[in-house]
Parts: sequence; C-alpha cells; structure tokens
Amino acid sequence: MDEMTSSAPSGEVRKRHVRDRTTSFNSIPHIKGGSSTLRPSTLRNCTSTTSLRSVGSETDQSEIIAPVPRRHLLQTAESSQWLRLDTFSDTRWPSRGVSPVSAASSTASAFPTSSASKRLSFSALMEQEKMVRGITASASHLKERQESEDDLGPGGARRWVRWMHRHGMKAWVVPCAVAASMWVKWCIGLGTYSGHATPPMFGDYEAQRHWMELTIHLPVREWYTYDLQYWGLDYPPLTAYASWLCGKVGALFEPSWLSLDASRGIESPDSKIFMRASVLALDTLLYIPALYTFMRTWQGTRSSRTQHVALVTLLFHPALLLVDFGHFQYNSVMLGLTLIAINSFAAGYDLMGAVFFVLSLGFKQMALYYAPAIGSYLLGKCIFLGPVHGTRLFTRLAFTVIITLAFLFAPFLPPLAPPSAILAPISRIFPFARGLFEDKVANFWCFTNVLLIKWKRAFEGSEGTLVKASAVLTALGFLPGVAGLLWGGWKARLQPSKEQEKEGAAAPSATASLVSIPSTPTPTLPLLPYALLTSSMSFFLFSFQVHEKTILLPLLPLTLLLSGAPLNEEVWMWGVLGNNVGVFSMWPLLKKDGLGVQYFAMLLLWNRVVGHDPFRLRPNSFVGLLSIAVYAAASLLQALELVISPPARYPDLFPVLNVLVCTPVFGLVWLWSVKRGIEVGWATGGLPGSGARRGDEVQMKPKESPAVESVRRDFGVRAMSLGYAPSQSRRRALESLRAESMERDAILSGRQ
Amino acid sequence: MSNLSPRSSPIQGHPPPIPEDSNETDAAPSKVAAKRGWPWFNWDLSRSEVDLLLISTGLKLLLFPSYRSTDFEVHRNWLAITHSLPISQWYYDTTSEWTLDYPPFFAYFEKLLSIPASFVDAKIVDLNNLGYNAWSVVAYQRSTVIFTELLLGAVLLRFVRGAVDPSRQRIISASLFLHPGFLIIDHIHFQYNGFMFGILLWSILMAREGNKLASGILFAVLLNFKHIYMYLAPAYFIYLLRSYCMSPSGQILPTRFISLANAVIVVFVISLGPFILMGQLPQLLSRLFPFTRGLNHAYWAPNAWALVTAADRVLLQFSKRFGVALSVNESGVASTSRGLVGDTVFAVIPNVKPLHTFIITIGFQAIFLIKLWSAPTYKSFLTALTLCGYTSFMFGWHVHEKAVLLVLVPLSLLATETYAYFKTFVIASVAGIFSLFPLLFTPAESLAEVVYSLLWGAFVIIPLNRQVYEFPRSVPWVILETLENIYLLGFAALQAFVTLFPLLVRSRSGSTVCTPGDVSCSEDAAAGLSALEFLPLLLTSVYCAVGLVWAFIRLSVIYLKHQY
Repeated sequence: MDEMTSSAPSGEVRKRHVRDRTTSFNSIPHIKGGSSTLRPSTLRNCTSTTSLRSVGSETDQSEIIAPVPRRHLLQTAESSQWLRLDTFSDTRWPSRGVSPVSAASSTASAFPTSSASKRLSFSALMEQEKMVRGITASASHLKERQESEDDLGPGGARRWVRWMHRHGMKAWVVPCAVAASMWVKWCIGLGTYSGHATPPMFGDYEAQRHWMELTIHLPVREWYTYDLQYWGLDYPPLTAYASWLCGKVGALFEPSWLSLDASRGIESPDSKIFMRASVLALDTLLYIPALYTFMRTWQGTRSSRTQHVALVTLLFHPALLLVDFGHFQYNSVMLGLTLIAINSFAAGYDLMGAVFFVLSLGFKQMALYYAPAIGSYLLGKCIFLGPVHGTRLFTRLAFTVIITLAFLFAPFLPPLAPPSAILAPISRIFPFARGLFEDKVANFWCFTNVLLIKWKRAFEGSEGTLVKASAVLTALGFLPGVAGLLWGGWKARLQPSKEQEKEGAAAPSATASLVSIPSTPTPTLPLLPYALLTSSMSFFLFSFQVHEKTILLPLLPLTLLLSGAPLNEEVWMWGVLGNNVGVFSMWPLLKKDGLGVQYFAMLLLWNRVVGHDPFRLRPNSFVGLLSIAVYAAASLLQALELVISPPARYPDLFPVLNVLVCTPVFGLVWLWSVKRGIEVGWATGGLPGSGARRGDEVQMKPKESPAVESVRRDFGVRAMSLGYAPSQSRRRALESLRAESMERDAILSGRQ
Repeated sequence: MSNLSPRSSPIQGHPPPIPEDSNETDAAPSKVAAKRGWPWFNWDLSRSEVDLLLISTGLKLLLFPSYRSTDFEVHRNWLAITHSLPISQWYYDTTSEWTLDYPPFFAYFEKLLSIPASFVDAKIVDLNNLGYNAWSVVAYQRSTVIFTELLLGAVLLRFVRGAVDPSRQRIISASLFLHPGFLIIDHIHFQYNGFMFGILLWSILMAREGNKLASGILFAVLLNFKHIYMYLAPAYFIYLLRSYCMSPSGQILPTRFISLANAVIVVFVISLGPFILMGQLPQLLSRLFPFTRGLNHAYWAPNAWALVTAADRVLLQFSKRFGVALSVNESGVASTSRGLVGDTVFAVIPNVKPLHTFIITIGFQAIFLIKLWSAPTYKSFLTALTLCGYTSFMFGWHVHEKAVLLVLVPLSLLATETYAYFKTFVIASVAGIFSLFPLLFTPAESLAEVVYSLLWGAFVIIPLNRQVYEFPRSVPWVILETLENIYLLGFAALQAFVTLFPLLVRSRSGSTVCTPGDVSCSEDAAAGLSALEFLPLLLTSVYCAVGLVWAFIRLSVIYLKHQY
C-alpha cells in the first residue's frame, strides 16, 4: 500500500480506479469473507501506480461518505467481472430477505449451516432485479427515499429497535422486549377472567384450576372419569400432566387453593395470582423461546433489526395475549410446541419436529387444525428425498410419532392399565355429541345460518349428514395446501437423472451430499406457513364444533408471515387485517369476561407497534379497500354497541352482526392463503408442465469467454430464482456454476 | 445540530406563551414558518412521539383494574363534595372521613371533573355513596388521570423543542413522561401528580425561556392546586426576586416587582377570594395544615429522619444488650415495639419537634439560596429548586414517601449536565423509585412495578450513561464510583430479600409451636412476628435513605462548587 501511495496518478488510471473504488466498496464483505488471495491480484491489475488516498479524497467523496447499499450488485456480471470474484463461491453469502414469504429456503445461524444457506434467496434477487431495472440512484437519493419511507412507514417496533441499536443497546433489545411483553401480559392479567364471580359453573379459569385440583388428588386413571358434569377433563394427557405440575407447585404455596372439591369456585386474590403466574411461566418457558428460535431460523439470514422487529411483532400478538392472559387459557403452550415443530422442520430436524408436533397435539387436540399441513409437509419431504431416503424417513417419522403418542398415553395403555382405559380420554377429547357450532362464531356455518338457512332446523334428526358435510368441506378447504406441499415435493424430488450421472464424475462430493443429507430443508418449506394457514383457516371456517377462540390457530401462521414481511406489502396488509379482525371477532367473548379495556388497549398497542394506522389507509389494492370497509363496519358496530342496547327481540344482534363482518374476512384470508400458496409453490417448484424443459438451462459450458459467460450466468440464475426455471435444473445449474467458478479460480491463480 | 434554534432570548413583557402555541421542531425549521398560522392545532409531533403517547396510553389502560389506594375514594368523595354542595360547604363537609384538604384550585378542578362524571354515572357524585367502586367510577377516574397527564406530555414536548441537545432532552422528557413514580402513584395508587408536575414543569420551562413572570404566575397557580409545592417556594422566591425584579447590578426594578406581585396576588385572590369573603380562611387553613401528625409517616420516608430513627433503634438494642446506661425514654421503647405504626418517639436520642425540623430545613435551604442569589441563572435556579425540594424532603416534618417526586422530577432535567449530575440522578432515582415500592403491597402490582422500573431504568440510564460517562480521574474517585455501583447493585439483593422474606417468615412461624400456657413464648413470637413483618419495610426505608442522603450531599457539593 505504501508503495502505491507514493507514485503519481495518471489521468487514465485514475478514471479506472474510480470505478474500481465504487465497486470494491460494495464488495468489502466478500473480500474479507474468504477469497483473500483475490484481493492483491485485483488491485495489482488496475492500480499498481495509483494513489488510493488521493483519488478517494478528490473525486469520490460523496460515494465514500455514503456508500450505496448495493450489496447484491455483486451478483451482476459487471461487478464480478471487475472484481474477478466468483459469484457462487462459498464465502459468507450476503443474502437478505429470506423469510417464510420468500421462496428460497433459509437456515438458521443458530443451527449448523447446511448447503441450503448458500443458495440464492428469492427476495434478495427481487431486490437486485429492482436495482438493475433502473435504480441507478445515487447514495443521497436512496438515503432520502429511505428517510421519507421511515417517516411514513415503520411502526413503533421498528423505530424502537432502531433507537436501541443506535444507542448501542443491541444486546438489550431481546431481553427488554421479552420483559416488556411479560409486563403487558401480567397487566392484562390484573383484570377479570372467564367466568369471574359467576357461580355455580364459573368459566375456563375454574376449569383449568379444577384440573389442577383433580390431577394432584386423584390417580391417573380417574382423571378422565371424575365428576364429568363439573368441568370434566376434556383435553389430551399433556394438559393433564401440565396441570399436575402446576397443581403440585401451587399446593406448595397454599394447599387450600387446590383441595379436592372444597376449593371449587375459589377466587381469592392469591389464587388468582398463582393461576396467572402459571400461565405466564409456561408461556415464558415455551412460547417465547419458540418465538426466539423462529426469529433465528426463519429470519436467520436477515438483518438483526428485521429479526428484532419480527420478534416484537410476535411478542405482542393481541389475540393470544387477550385469550391466554385475560380470558385464561394455556393456548401459548400448544402454539409454542407447534412453533418449535415448525422451527425444527426449517432447521432440518424432522424427527424432533414431529415429536414436538405430537406434543402439541397431546396438549390440545385443537392442534389437529395444523395436522394436514404438517403431515403433508413431511410426506412431501419423503417424496422429495426419493424412494430410498424417503422411505427411510417415512419409517422413522412413523415410528417416532407412534412412540411419542404411546408415551403420552402410557398411563392409559395396557401395561399400566386395562385395555378399556384408553376409551375414557379418547371419548372425552373428541366429543361428537355437541352441536354444529356453539354461540356465535365467525365461521361458515354460523354465517350461513344467519343469512341463508337454519342448519339445525333443516337437518333436524339427521345431524350425521351435517357432520359429514362439514368434514367434506373442511377437507376441500385444506386440500389446496396439502396438494401444494405434496406436489412441490414430487416436483422437486431428487432423482438421479442422466446429466447428474454424468456430472457425478465431475463433482461427486456435491451430488453425493445432496442425496445423502436427509436433514436439508425441502424446497417446499416456504409453502409450510401458507399451508398451515390454509388448513387451520379451513378448519375454523368449515369444521364442526368451533369456538371463537379457535381463531388463534389460523392467526399464528398469519402473524408469522406478517412478522417478516415488509411494511404495507400485501402479506403484511393481510396479516394485520386478519389479526385485527380476529381480535374483533372475539369481542363478544371478551366483553362477557369484562376485558373491554384490555381489548382496546391491546389493539391500540399492537397496531402502533407494527405501524398500522387503520384510519390512514390507501385504497390502492384489494386488501386496502377491504380493510377500509371492514374497519369502517367494525368501528360503526362498536360505536353502536356503546350507544344503543340491542332490541329485546334480538338480544344477540351485535354478536350476529360481528359474525357477519368477520366471516367474509376470514373466508378471504383463506382464499388468499390458497392463492399465495400457489404463487409461492410456483416460484419454488417451477411452472406446471415445465418439466419437459428440465435441464435446458444447464447447457452453459465453462469454455465460453468470461464476459459472455457471466452475463448468461446471471440471467440464468435470476430466471431460476423467480421461478421460471424448474428447481431441479436450478440446483444442477448451481452445481455446474460452482464447479465452473472453481475452475476459473484455478485458472486465475495459475495466471498469477 | 446546527439547524436547532434554542430559544434562549428572553421575551419580556410578552404574554406567557402556553405550550400549545409552540411548533418548533428541531428537524424542520422551514416547516415552522409555514405553519405559524395555526399554532393551536399544530403540534408537529414526530411519529416516535405519537408512538410513545399512544403506547403509554395503552399500557396505562391496562392498569385500570389494578389496586387502588384509599386516595381513589378520597378523590371520588371530593368529586361528590364539589358537585353536590355549594362552595361554602366544601371545607366544612365531614360526611366522609376523607375531607377536602387540598387548596381551592384543586377543588375547582374536581368541580370541573365532576360535571362529566355526573353524566357518566350520577352515583359517582352522590355524596352519601361512600366507597363506591363500580366499573364506571374506576374507568372514569382513571381516564381523567390519563387525560390530565397530557399536560405533562405537552410541556415535556416543549422542553425538547427548544433544547440545546434535543436528543438527550428527548430521552429525559420521555423518561419523565413514563416515570415509574407517576405510574405507581398516579395510575395504580391514584393521584393527579402527572397533571400537577405538568404545571410545575411548565413554570420551569417558562423560566428557561426567560419568561419569568409567567413562571411565577404558574407556580402560584400550582401552589393553589397542591400546597406541598411550598417545599419549592423559597427557590422561586429568591430566583424571581433576584433575576426578575432586580437588575443584574442589584437595583430593584419597581414595575417588574409590582407586576409580579400583582399577578401572584390575583392568582391567590381567584383561589382564596371566595373563602375569604365567606370568612372561611381559618377553617380552610386548618384543613390544609394539620399539625397533628408525627415526625415519620407509618412507613418512614427515606430521609434523614429515617436514618436517625434507625440509629435510635440500634442504640436502644445496644443499651439493652450490653447494659450501657443510656437515658431511655419509656414511651420511646413502646414506640419501637409498635413497629412503624403511629407516631415516632425516640427512645435514646432526644425527641424532635416540628420546630427543629423547620429550622434545619430553612438553614440548609438558606445555604443554597445564597448561592442562587449570587448566581441567578436558569441552571443554577433549577439546581437550587431541586435542592430546596430535596432539603424539605430530607428534613421535613411528616414527609410522605411520595414527596420524593419533588426531588426526582426537577433533578431529571439536570441529569445530562455532567457526569456528576448524572450519577447523582441515577442514585437518587433508583433509591427514590425503590422507596415507592412499598406503596403497593399487593403481589400482582408489586411485580408490575418492579418490572416496569427495571425497563425504565434500562431505557433511560444506559443510553444517557453512554453519552455522559467520564472516566474517574483519581483513585478516590474510582473507589467512590465502585462503592456507588455496589450500592446500586445492592438493590437487587434488597428486592430479593423483600420478596422472599414473607415466605421465609411464614414457613418459620408455621414450624414453631407455642404451648398455650407459655406466655413468654407467645409474646415473644407475636412481638418477633410483628417486628419481622416490618423488617423488610425498615430495611427498604433505611437502605433508600442512605442513597438519597448521599445523593443530597453530592448534589449540594456539586451545586456549591459549581461556578455559574
């Protein structure tokens, strides 16, 4: 370097150098990243006689002061030509924007990296696309735009995270956010709960407390048979075990809270604190770590700010907080277990994921709403892995699931109990004897019941038909999601084709690793959240015996999708709308529980945190228009309810109107999830029927001249990433490109 | 930083600008000029300010169903008194034990609040409806607190607008708006401190902007809302006299003096006038100043007297154990066995009379006021004001722990002056906020207040510390800093002790069984238990008092040594 600075600059070289300087600024991570041998050669090529310092200070100041965030330009032919960097070298890949929304799979930094992390991400390339398409904007321009967007756009969470990062409190963001969310949860718990002061039956609070009392005092076999009229246990065994644990802890403090029969309806302040604390403890132990790992796995390759914002968005999820900490239930345990399962899938630990999902099912049978999506994902993965590895994985999964279930139900199974003992929990868990729907639920049945046809009257005496109809409709509802996952797995299945066999000789290690690692995430992974949404929403809309609280299940995948999405994108808009309407749909329930203030406070808080202003919407898309209409209707309804009491003839007027507002939104969210599923599936799996052209793009050979080659390469990759090329050929193309670049490296180093 | 326009030029003779008419932003001075036309409606709030406002409102809403102290019923009763009785009866009514004992402006304020209350629920303002705690009254009263606290927010916003360093001032303003003290006392315990500190800060703001007449008027108004602010009055008096009514060379400016005096008199006439006309002034004053209470409150406020009382207890035990002949006051011994309840009578140390506390307070204040007289600048005034409040808190008669806000709020404004100020602020704030914890004794609210305070501390102390930290220059300073940090860490241990202690006591009392005939055993157990019950309170009080006294000494030294 010293030698360089001492020599005098010549005009021509300086010009060249200016260019080099700008590009190399962008490439700093790359140069640092791994290929350190390249740097001296690059510099020597063009600037052996120039002064770096003088050029920088004279001509290039603006660009040096404010470097353009153009990381992805590296992947263009231009920059790689200049830098002689191989685009697909195994350096740290600066990809952004990998989220459930984006098509390419991502892996966690929390988990061991797999080869998948080195693949291109979908949205990173979308960004690059924008760049290339004519945003040759200067740094200042970009910065300006960013600032104006900041001013309009991001929500409280983003601003807060930015503030924290700027004040050097990056490490504090997660603990503070978790503590703040716990504070909010606890303060929601200061209010009343389901069934507060309403003897003789009370509500969900009393049910949960009763189960603690029941499990710590009775032998296991009586759990599902004891006094069924008074809140008999009707959740799967894991709930019972958790109740037992909580009960044991509670009895340490004060046995009278949980004495058998005598404690029924106890509502002392102390016992309330204990109950609330038990929810908070389980939530903190299961759900918050699940959210954290979600952040690290699904958003692992994104900036830490985005990750933090996503975490904050999820931590203050209003519907869940209101139901768990206000109304009183333990939904976060079930959702947390499912979330851990999904995270495990994303990290490639399918068996662990399966165990956690079974645990989730074993906590609350409601997790069945997710079962079609998760089952078909795993099946799709088995298909993807091909006959040998697929079968192996399938066998392992089946074995794991059966073992886990057996463990869960062990106390009711033969070695420990007579064979008939299992019937009691099963019949309690799946009650088919109740009606089609309870209360006023914003689903298809209640909606049509109000508008079109009185189902109960029409099918009097033949309820079985209704049950079948609801089962068929539900199945039809989740079919698109299931089909997408299976088809995606089939489409992308690993199959030793002719070219691969040929290439196998050239790059044996890469091919072998692709086949022999059953822990790589499947290409259908980005479809999973959408499939979960489709499946749970279809259950909510069409299935039998739905409760309004069940909307939490579709809201989880919806919020997961929303958390990683950029502001005011379609996904984000749908997510926010779905969440707000979800909370609104529970208004009658919350009002009954005396949680009206908490309801308003949480809506205010969360919308402010994510940066959504329902009163400042732009009708520039379908979802924007829909939001305006729905919010108008909802606020009108709330205002009316405040002012007018319902007429005596229709005491349920407001709940019914609520159903009429909410159901169409849920239906549309379901349709949208199907549509997005198809889109994402298309992007990852390729066009239907394009299989014939499979492998066409791989005809590029490394013998061509470097310039032409790099242009074509870039083109090819972009086409693939956008879903125009089938994924299998894409992978093979990547392989060949990698081999190619290695070759070129060798040539380069040879030249030196 | 260059586009900021600190408004330091004094605008004298102008009518006092009220916070609403400010639209300066540090970000866009050009916008300001364009929007001058609609000052009342133009707030130019940045999005983060709106965030802070709405999110904090959301959090406060969540506290609606939390524990309420008797102050809630006190204020409801005042709503009823002012609504259903003629003004002549306000200070005579004894229907409830919670008689009206705030100055007339607060009574007018309650009268104002009672008008919407009667529409919300007529039972709220029913005088005989004692202890009414329906949802309507809770929601109404709690929302009036949130609503009136907006004044505090508006004033704090104005503090940011003209600040020398807006980014620091923004943190300080936010820290005051979200102060755990306000959350604990106003939104859980129930009072209207946010509103009244809004007026105080407004008055301080006017002083900063050079509008000292307005500052004086606002302080007079504040005094007529709540007379506890008399703690601060000496500093105001000296400051206004020296810097407003006198020229820098020391000549009295009669016009200014007369205008200030007239303005203050007008305020007092509006407030007290009706009662003077009705000849009720003695009755009013007897309500306002009941000199029948003891030196310490039931729970010792963490001030100098707490340390003295603790020393007395220690000396008593010492004399009992080792038989040292000390003249022991028998009633004082009885007083100790009653724990912290009731009047405090010392057993060993000579008793303290109200007059003594008064003299000590005035003496200390005089020192600071002399300094203020010689250096009547805004910063000096602010420090002297803080010290005035601090002295009253330290040595006052029957000080309530809530009065610590009188110290913490003005001290916060000084937090970023230098590192020395900052460290004082940290010690005083941590000790002061911790000393408020016993105000809420219900476990649910206790957890909430602890977590909230921790979060507040993280968001305020860490970023400010990064900005103002100075490395200690010599070994004594290093030692001092280490000791202070150890003291601050000690609060974690203290909190752990306070939380776990009741559980320990219960398990121990459960295990010791006294036989019915054994008198000494049961007596001992009872005495031990009652003493044990108060042990956490006593420890909290003493430990906080140590920090607050130390912060007082620190601040005094800083002030007296500082060259203005």
